Amino acid sequence: MGNSAFLVGGVLPYLAAVVFVVGVVYRLLTWRRVPQPASMTLYPTQGASWGALVKEALFFPSLFRGDKTLWIFAWSFHVALALAFIGHLRVATGVIDRGLAAVGLGAAGMAMLSAVAGGFAGVVLIATVLLLLGRRMLVARVREISKTPDFLALLLLVAVITTGDLMRFGASHVDLAATRAWAASLLTLSPAVSLPPTFLLHLFFAQLLVLYIAFSKLMHFGGFFFTFSLIKGSQP
Amino acid sequence: MSDQEPVLKGVNAIKGGPRALRLYMDMCAKCGTCAEVCTVYYGKKDPKYNPAHRSDLIRSLYKRHNTLAGKIFGGLAGAKDFDQAEFEEWQDIFYSCTTCRRCAQFCPVGIDNSVITRKGRTILDGLGRTPARLQKVVKTALDTHNTDGASPDAFNAAIAFIEEEMREEHGVDIKIPVDVVGAEYFYLPPSGDALVNIEATMGVAKVFHVLGMGDKWTMSSKCFDGANYGLFTGNDAHMKATNKACVDEAKRLGVKVLLMGECGHAHRVMKRMMESSKWWGDLPFQVINCMEWTAEQIRAGKLQFDKSKNPESVTYHDPCNFAKSCNIIEAPRVILRAACTKVREMTPHGAENWCCGGGGGLAAMNEILEFRMTVSGVKKHEQIKATGAEYVATACANCKRQLAQLMEHHKEDIAVGGVHDMLSRAILVDGKAANRKCYE
Ligand code: HEM
Ligand code: SF4
Ligand code: SF4
Repeated sequence: MGNSAFLVGGVLPYLAAVVFVVGVVYRLLTWRRVPQPASMTLYPTQGASWGALVKEALFFPSLFRGDKTLWIFAWSFHVALALAFIGHLRVATGVIDRGLAAVGLGAAGMAMLSAVAGGFAGVVLIATVLLLLGRRMLVARVREISKTPDFLALLLLVAVITTGDLMRFGASHVDLAATRAWAASLLTLSPAVSLPPTFLLHLFFAQLLVLYIAFSKLMHFGGFFFTFSLIKGSQP
Repeated sequence: MSDQEPVLKGVNAIKGGPRALRLYMDMCAKCGTCAEVCTVYYGKKDPKYNPAHRSDLIRSLYKRHNTLAGKIFGGLAGAKDFDQAEFEEWQDIFYSCTTCRRCAQFCPVGIDNSVITRKGRTILDGLGRTPARLQKVVKTALDTHNTDGASPDAFNAAIAFIEEEMREEHGVDIKIPVDVVGAEYFYLPPSGDALVNIEATMGVAKVFHVLGMGDKWTMSSKCFDGANYGLFTGNDAHMKATNKACVDEAKRLGVKVLLMGECGHAHRVMKRMMESSKWWGDLPFQVINCMEWTAEQIRAGKLQFDKSKNPESVTYHDPCNFAKSCNIIEAPRVILRAACTKVREMTPHGAENWCCGGGGGLAAMNEILEFRMTVSGVKKHEQIKATGAEYVATACANCKRQLAQLMEHHKEDIAVGGVHDMLSRAILVDGKAANRKCYE
């Protein structure tokens, strides 16, 4: 096991996990703590019920009304991101496999589902991220407000997704038994890193992204619920 | 001289709230949707009019001093050091947002750029950098309790004139009670509706008269302007002082209802800010708008009209403060449909209506007339023209000023006026509509 491999597979995961959890919790708590003396309801609104917030989070209706093209890019991107996230749980644990087996899905079916859903997500992710990036470079109203962090987020994503797609569509398909063993070793605090280089590269970028979240606009996944309850909140 | 210290003090204060601002500092996705829907950016695709760019003036300073990433990585994290040259542009940039809140209706992550604009103006105001014209209006309002600087005598003379006009129109006495302690309703219009564009006040007076409630309401010779420019300059102390004078007068008069006039921001400050945030505790009166009140009478079938008095086609411009912040959208339409032959709608209208281009106090600023006509007013001009209407009704003194100038600038033969104006021309008093003069 090389030193850099151990850093990426045996040290960084702990760091990333701690920074992510502490960072995200810290920011959510400060947002909650900071006072909002005035209500600021914006019409039309049906109120800030959880149902309305979840609908906004699942379908981005505001964006849909505002910019259809961006809605297609951003919405597909987030859906693919969600699919990829669920799929990644299989990398670390067999729980999902056992669940799927319990509802009658065989090994062949599982491979098929992984190929279809995972492959789909893999293609959509890289396509939409490149579209978002292209848009950021070409559309004047987006380019003129884009700064380093806006490109950084997208470039990091490109790195994560390309290395991920390399494993899915490239020659060396990842060995789930090996990754699950590694994940289990992390949990027992005795990291054993024997992983292929492409996986390590992917893991490296992914962890950079995770580290980045709490410090960046990517926190919109949490702040979103606060901002929308503010403007959708109902008033007497 | 550098303004670094006071500016940063204002920016850093965001760390402590309000929550909305704090969130907006942290999470703009820089997606450009706000620019797509912004009234100003629509008129001119100049980066300085891009809402996210404007907001970033404050956001980048905030990041530099209040976030770990900004402190360590600076520009890499989107942070920036204070730059006096850039600050010199603040007045221009923060007074080229109409604070209409349209961007917030479409932002995928729920950011209301008008809140950041107001913060920028608050900082400017602290440094005496509020545009001269608005400073003057605020001072006049604080000194005389109205933005026109009119004396109680001038007000009383105007009311006498309005009563005389109504007598000529209908041949009967229609009273406008003034300073009546113990009245039920206290009508508080923008001062222009009492002093200059008098038809709106005539309309309200006629409604009370027809209902047989001519002695149940009052105006005040000391407090006849709901306008509150502290909202626009970002100065909370001025906003509250201006507001308190009105609330105190309503309490002194002992009324049950504070009937706000056709003035969007005045109603918003009174209803959505003062009342809902309980600035002065629990109130002995209710706050409602005269349009809601009149619409209710129409729905109850208590008012009759001769629509033929308003033969021209009419469209209604939703003032942002009424539609977006107060949800008063249907009431003016109920009145117009009752009083006019043809009512047309703009696309879109209601809450998602486009700003007139003069919101946020801009309409009062003669020094930016060019900007209002050729940038912020472009969309509204197109929208109005597309309806083919001959009269634009709107319920806000600022919108009226902006729209009238806009129609003149573009040489359109389209009149601009209020909602109760149209009611006043068509309502039946003792079975007869007004024998009307032209007040333009
Ligand atoms: C809850 C509702 C959400 C909304 C409305 C939303 C909206 C957006 C929008 C509009 C963009 C801009 C894309 C661009 O122009 O570049 C974006 C980007 C992004 N979002 Fe979300 N998002 C949401 C939730 C999430 C969640 C749950 C995640 C997962 C962590 C996430 C992660 C990302 C990432 C990684 C990007 C790309 C980075 C970038 O463009 O800078 N989002 N989102
Ligand atoms: S629409 Fe919202 S998230 Fe997008 S650039 Fe504007 S303020 Fe930022
Ligand atoms: S509040 Fe109105 S004028 Fe200001 S940035 Fe938003 S859409 Fe543009």
